[in-house]
Amino acid sequence: MIGVNDKSARKSKTALIGMMLVGIAALFVCGAVAGYAEASGASVDQTVVTGVVVVLGVVGMAAAFGIGTLWMRSIDEAAQEAHKSAWYWGGSAGLAVGGVGLILSMLPGAASWTLPGFLGRSDPAAWAAMGAVGLMTLMMLGYGIVWAWWWLARR
Amino acid sequence: MNNRLKVLRAERDWSQAQLADELGVSRQTVNALETGRYDPSLPLAFRIAKVFGQPIESIFSE
Repeated sequence: MIGVNDKSARKSKTALIGMMLVGIAALFVCGAVAGYAEASGASVDQTVVTGVVVVLGVVGMAAAFGIGTLWMRSIDEAAQEAHKSAWYWGGSAGLAVGGVGLILSMLPGAASWTLPGFLGRSDPAAWAAMGAVGLMTLMMLGYGIVWAWWWLARR
Repeated sequence: MNNRLKVLRAERDWSQAQLADELGVSRQTVNALETGRYDPSLPLAFRIAKVFGQPIESIFSE
């Protein structure tokens, strides 16, 4: 017995796999082009590199959001509730912990603090990236804990 | 909320996985429903009633 929901879920899964394959193919092509340019010693204008990276970043994140939407629609309602709960409570808790770091950074003496490098770099852009990655890590940690708790409480 | 899912499933000699297939949900969701730790949405409650051929009020109670 195949219902409307089954057909819809199957369609979502097919679209999800399709988008992932297109994304992987796009990344492969970009990597191959970049590798070829590097190996041939071609000098590329930094403006072009920045433009390509911006486009790839925006398209990549938009694709990730699209894939996330399709995946969320393909799972059942209890699984969706677990993720909603994890997003709100776990993500918010991670954000709150990150907020403590933000408040600490406003202390009068914070400007003279020595911060560790990020991926071997210690410049403002690297520190901004470190802050973003740190906040994402805290939110994902909270997300994972609450998601696991949600299911364990309903076994 | 209490429900008779486990009894109704046992009467038909179905596994949780079989019932999950019929309902279009995961086995973990069926388990959460049977233990009464997850209350289904109205559309899922109607699907459950349809699968067992019984009215919702005879399956779920406060």
